[in-house]
Amino acid sequence: MNILVQTRNRLSKFLLAFFKKKRSRIGIYGPPNAGKTTLANRIASDWTGETVGQVSEVPHETRRASRKTDITLTGANGSSITIDIVDTPGVTTKIDYKDFLEYGITKEDAITRAREATEGVAEAMHWLREDIDGVIYMLDSTEDPFLQVNIMMIGIIESRKLPVLIVANKIDLPDAAPQRIRNAFPQHPVIQISCKEGKNVEDLYEKMVDHFG
Amino acid sequence: MPHKCANCGREYRNGAKELLAGCAECGGKKFYFVPYVRRHEKKKEPEPEKEVPAVVPPRVEAEESPQTDAGVDKLESVRIVSPGTYELNISKMANSDERVVGIGRGDGSYIVDLLSMVKPKSGKKHKKSK
Repeated sequence: MNILVQTRNRLSKFLLAFFKKKRSRIGIYGPPNAGKTTLANRIASDWTGETVGQVSEVPHETRRASRKTDITLTGANGSSITIDIVDTPGVTTKIDYKDFLEYGITKEDAITRAREATEGVAEAMHWLREDIDGVIYMLDSTEDPFLQVNIMMIGIIESRKLPVLIVANKIDLPDAAPQRIRNAFPQHPVIQISCKEGKNVEDLYEKMVDHFG
Repeated sequence: MPHKCANCGREYRNGAKELLAGCAECGGKKFYFVPYVRRHEKKKEPEPEKEVPAVVPPRVEAEESPQTDAGVDKLESVRIVSPGTYELNISKMANSDERVVGIGRGDGSYIVDLLSMVKPKSGKKHKKSK
């Protein structure tokens, strides 16, 4: 009898080692001001009641990657996933302090911000290189998706064989054109949402459970 | 005086024969390049309009040398000072493959080479080949 119990325990340990799902780390990537932190905050507050970072209309408000761990999302069919959400700084290829001056930031602060933002891009890329299991690529529906940085980032994510969900955000704005994003990246699922108003966010959660589960 | 002995810190001007023969003080043959832009900015701030060719640094700077390893803590690996004039941050380039290009004389404008930041670590290749 004792041998039977021992064998059962060993077998279950063995099977767990193989089939136990590792907690996925999902990175929210995208150009500056696409709404990455807003989405991270919404996911975190909807499922854990807490927030991740501060939101602002000035580009590069998030200059350090921040993480919210142990978020369990449950889909309509009852299946669930536990993920860590990593909100990353906006990825861009050019950062100029002059772009910040129009927001009333002093030259010294703008220069510091530009430096930190550049370091932030490096940090975001570092996470992508080392620690990310899936990507939510966030785009502003009112902007042209055919930017070099978007094409390059999607290419990089594909080359690393990471599952990616593209989110067309800000569909509440009058000049939003999420169809452009669908046309730009037909090879990936695109979910159109308004993070600010919470529109279609449930669809995104459903898709996340499906895609990253 | 943009060249600084890595050993004793003595500075030499561009083209000085000690750069090839070795430092007159300690005999060291390694020299840091002290970025010209920084020195230029510090000393010549009141008249930024005046352009001095980068290859002929002003002599006045000979006595005072407050700079220590300028460029080492800089974010960019290459700075395009003006078309055709570049500053290379050797220590950054030696330590990482990431390429950040600084634009212009001051700080605050950068171009980031994203592809250089996602290259797999060279260690992984070794693992595979084993």
